[in-house]
Amino acid sequence: MHGARPEPQTASPRKPQTAFPRKPQTANRSPMSDLTRVIELFQLPFMQRALLGGVLTGLMGGLMGSFTILRQLSFFSDALGHSALLGISLGLLLGLSPSSVLLPFAVLFALGVTYLLERTRLWTDALLNIVYSSSLAIGVILLTFVGQYKGGINNILFGDILAVRQGDLVVSTVLLVVCVVFVGLTLRSQILLTLHEPLAIASGIAASAHRTVFIMLLALVVGASIKAIGVLLISAFVVIPACAARMLSRTFAGYVMLSAVLGAMGAVLGMVLSALLNLPSGPAIVTMQLAIFLVAIVLPRAKLSTV
Amino acid sequence: MSTAVLAVEGLTVYRDTYATVQDVSFALEAGTDTAIVGPNGAGKSTLIQAILGILPRRSGDVFWLGHPLSRRGVLSPKVRQQIAYLPQNFLFDRRIPITVNELVALGWDDLGLKLPWANQKQRRLAVRRALERVDALHLGSQPISRLSGGETKRALLAYCLVRPRRLLILDEASAGLDVRSESDFYQLLYQLKQEQGWAILQISHDLDMVRKHCDRVLCLNRFLRCQGTPDYALAPDNLVAVYGSEFVRYRHHH
Repeated sequence: MHGARPEPQTASPRKPQTAFPRKPQTANRSPMSDLTRVIELFQLPFMQRALLGGVLTGLMGGLMGSFTILRQLSFFSDALGHSALLGISLGLLLGLSPSSVLLPFAVLFALGVTYLLERTRLWTDALLNIVYSSSLAIGVILLTFVGQYKGGINNILFGDILAVRQGDLVVSTVLLVVCVVFVGLTLRSQILLTLHEPLAIASGIAASAHRTVFIMLLALVVGASIKAIGVLLISAFVVIPACAARMLSRTFAGYVMLSAVLGAMGAVLGMVLSALLNLPSGPAIVTMQLAIFLVAIVLPRAKLSTV
Repeated sequence: MSTAVLAVEGLTVYRDTYATVQDVSFALEAGTDTAIVGPNGAGKSTLIQAILGILPRRSGDVFWLGHPLSRRGVLSPKVRQQIAYLPQNFLFDRRIPITVNELVALGWDDLGLKLPWANQKQRRLAVRRALERVDALHLGSQPISRLSGGETKRALLAYCLVRPRRLLILDEASAGLDVRSESDFYQLLYQLKQEQGWAILQISHDLDMVRKHCDRVLCLNRFLRCQGTPDYALAPDNLVAVYGSEFVRYRHHH
């Protein structure tokens, strides 16, 4: 069956989009001129929106990620990211923009996965694998019917933080506030649920309701961030800052806050790196998150363990 | 019935299509110490989880301090706060970053919607007092990952102690401790029981400990085979009914 249907143009492998149009190289480039160029870049409105978008995504990913990794749900964000391609393809087929499809799709995905997990009682990672690989397969098939997608498959795979608009920032800000309020007001219950779910139920916590709300919020965070980060890298925003924070934290409350802060820090450093070296921004941010994680591993624990 | 801390009437619990606990009835009086004994798979943990509302029950009624536990496991928060439950494998994931202070504070908190910093002063004071009482004040800022088995159990007793309780439910509380630490744990537990007037319901495999400390014994093997004082319930005939004759012959020879 090879070659029965020509590959859609959108699915052709291309180099991920670079962050900025490369300026003509000059022979006497100095670190100072690089810095000036970066500062100039961050004065542009689209760069400021991108930076703000990165910080908001970093904060949300770090905050929700701190619970996600401890509850061994890391793979959920990855699976949702991959499955989002199905949502995007459906949207394109129906003539809707990816942004308007992603959030409802994320919520439906979260509810569907929760239902399947409770219904089948299979292992979470195995079930998520079924869900994401099949939705990825269906998504790619649907894309072949769409024809040329002007955004390009690269934008779906790796995101385009520079294309973040005012409306996206409003959605991210509202979502961040909801996450902070939810986690803040239920922190004790969340900690107990993370430590031992039966004990939490015995203490009167409605575990099932909490689980559903948490997974829906996580899905919304991932869904809202896919446009900027892409389906392939979004799980890094949830997992890496939280793991770095775990290496540096002693208290639970400190860990949750540090995870959010490191998420934002990774975004800022990644944007600077991206502007400085003219790299695609999503991968640059994830690289900086990795750098933070490696530093967290290497740093002597004793000095930082007061957090 | 209103004097009973816990009353269970005709409780039946199914796991899939199999009844793991069937038609169990008993009552716990205030300040008493009751042990549930029985072989592995007898339904001891299932029984405890069903009366706490963690597992759904097929039939029967559960009353805590005279308040009914609903079919969906809902119980008034005021009543819940008077019960402390220590599951068998509590704190099994020691990678979770949490200090002893934070852990004990979880026992103090009402778990409704609250600002994280609400009642900080009272919480800190209560945690301090509880840790002082179990001689673990120095462990307060330690992460749980660094505690020894004995220290962990003391931290868990502080978790129970941090607010006034009527009843402690322990699922093999001494599991994982060596002989010395186990003896220390029970010594502290029974000191606290005296002071606090706790009633205790515990699952135990240590029949000698049960004989020494408990007022009542429930012998469970799916059905409640017998209940009564340790002398009665742990008599050879009753043990045969619960554990089988092989076990009783083994105990007799050792």
